[in-house]
Amino acid sequence: MQAGQRSRIAVALGAAAALAAGLAACGPRAEDQPLQLKGGVPVGAVLSLTSNANAYGQDQQIGLKLAQAWFQQRRNANSQKALELNLRLEDGGGDEATASQAFNLLIDAGVVALIGPTLSQQAFAADPIAQRRGVPVVAPSNTATGIPQIGSFISRVSAPSTEIAPLSIAKALQLTPSIKRAAVFYAHDDAYSTSETVIFQKALTDKGLKPVTVQRTQLNDQDFQNQITSALRESPDLIVISAQAVDGGNLIRQLRELGYRGAIVVGNGMNTPNIYPICQRYCDGILIAQAYSPELDTPVNREFVALYQKAKGGAIPPQLTAQAFTAYQVVAEALQRLNKRQPLAQLSLGEARKALMAELLGGQYDTPLGEISFTSDGEVVQQRFHVAQVQMQPDGRSGRFLLLP
Amino acid sequence: MSDLSLLVQMGFGALLALSVYLPLRCGQLSLATPGFYVIGGYVAALLSTRWPALSGDGAGYPLTSLALELVVAAPVAAAVALVLGRPVLQLRGIYLAIATIALVEILRVLNLNLAWSGGAVGIFGIPQPFAGPGGYALATWVLLALVCWLCARLEAMRLGRAMAAIRDDELAARCMGIPSADVKLTAFVISAVIAALTGVLAAHFLNTWNARQGGFDASITTLAFVVFGGSRIWLGPVLGGLVITALPELLRPVGDLRLILFGLVILLGPILFPQGLITPERLARLQQTLRRP
Repeated sequence: MQAGQRSRIAVALGAAAALAAGLAACGPRAEDQPLQLKGGVPVGAVLSLTSNANAYGQDQQIGLKLAQAWFQQRRNANSQKALELNLRLEDGGGDEATASQAFNLLIDAGVVALIGPTLSQQAFAADPIAQRRGVPVVAPSNTATGIPQIGSFISRVSAPSTEIAPLSIAKALQLTPSIKRAAVFYAHDDAYSTSETVIFQKALTDKGLKPVTVQRTQLNDQDFQNQITSALRESPDLIVISAQAVDGGNLIRQLRELGYRGAIVVGNGMNTPNIYPICQRYCDGILIAQAYSPELDTPVNREFVALYQKAKGGAIPPQLTAQAFTAYQVVAEALQRLNKRQPLAQLSLGEARKALMAELLGGQYDTPLGEISFTSDGEVVQQRFHVAQVQMQPDGRSGRFLLLP
Repeated sequence: MSDLSLLVQMGFGALLALSVYLPLRCGQLSLATPGFYVIGGYVAALLSTRWPALSGDGAGYPLTSLALELVVAAPVAAAVALVLGRPVLQLRGIYLAIATIALVEILRVLNLNLAWSGGAVGIFGIPQPFAGPGGYALATWVLLALVCWLCARLEAMRLGRAMAAIRDDELAARCMGIPSADVKLTAFVISAVIAALTGVLAAHFLNTWNARQGGFDASITTLAFVVFGGSRIWLGPVLGGLVITALPELLRPVGDLRLILFGLVILLGPILFPQGLITPERLARLQQTLRRP
């Protein structure tokens, strides 16, 4: 093949792409079509079922499944005809491009609302797409600052770290008033950990406990001996950790093994029973602020816990599962209310999405997280937060988050 | 729309693959591509979010500002490549690969810790120069066509022939009077510029930019494009970039098995086609069969 021929191929490639772009620009707009209600109202979910965020995505997937089952139960119990939802779940991977692609795919498929994505970093990439195309998004697990501010169609049921994180510091000081020297650890290559540690450090400084040392770790670290020895040299009596489940669990284990006996406060990344097998008996006594407590005594939460225990053989549901359940519940209840006022069958897809967003933000919801509602820009307003202490069984294999009064 | 945005991502894949291919064309295994990709992305993200003069009158991000970002990103990446290229390209084979991985890692740690790069969260809320993926598809594929044209021209140009000579036998090439150090540096710089231009478009397309975009994983992915597609002529990496980027998305209907299938394809590709899918010989044979009535 001659060079001339090859450059002709290159020109042809460019021309084909230009043609494709031109063709796509003049197709009919899906937003103007009537909403497809066959098989239920289409709702999309994008969760990290693969990549290293999959531990979170799996917890969330169970939450969505339980919510579906719960609504089915209620539909069967109620004789009046309730709206059915058709949930379509797509894998969002762990990176921005995959989540964006999944959002695009589901929006093209004509969903009225989206649940997801799992990670805040993915939300910064995918949410603007939904915003531009006018699709309501309910985030079940994005805690970074600035998520609802991406646009008018973006909301979340996961309370931001700014509200939750300081509570556990206050509780630690209440339990041990003699605390004077605080040390801070965080994973410096992780978006969640770096944002949360800023809040922790501010909360400490506000209490007059300026951190004596701040140690930086990496998400994929296994060995924290260096950071721990230089922190212990400052003889701290409180250690505050922002890390994900695996690295954080190992960090706690090594802290205790190297002789640290003081209080430990951890952030939302370790808010999962998946840490028990990692730090085992060394998990005992760590403090954590939670947006969900399985011990909350309301009818919805009792039903949710019962469903979870039936599905998982008696285990206690983690926060991520409860929040995913809540996200589904919020979308489903808002759709029911909207349908009662203004039958969905009469709306075009674009109108339904817009009306749903208004309905969603205006409502009150009785969820496993307690009573929640939304501010006008989509931030969750949650009545109750909890501080729990991990209590391990003597065998060090299993444990529980014991709710502190 | 989802098809168009997949086209954009495939275009990015092909461009990055060509960026790995160019140094490889003169026998240099450089894994620095994601480093320059990230530099381009940060130039776009910083200029468009921190410099209000660029955002125009509010109705969309002006195309002239995007062009300005491209014009700024290219020399920045070229300058970094020029400064680093001289010492780094003295290394050969696996040592060069290690040095370029180190470069990517250094850039990642710098971006995580410098104040202006937004740390691990990165920079978000990057304004949009195009109303939808159609505009991005057009821009990406025009850039891809340009780079393909350049690569095709190289085969007939003095520079391209010099690169091929160095790849086959550097000592012999130097004996023939080819300034091998300069030629390798030129290839490295062009490769850096391509990656940076791709980064500029990608930052706008993704709405957000952070240090995770270019890490060791990205180095390996871009290398896989070239290994899968073939590194003998430019069509190979283009095909590799397009196919490997598109495959996980096209396999979505398969459900949970999709990444297993994707892994199988990546595994079987090099086993069945050790030289890559496209080699000059295979292309010539294909042409012969097509020409025969």
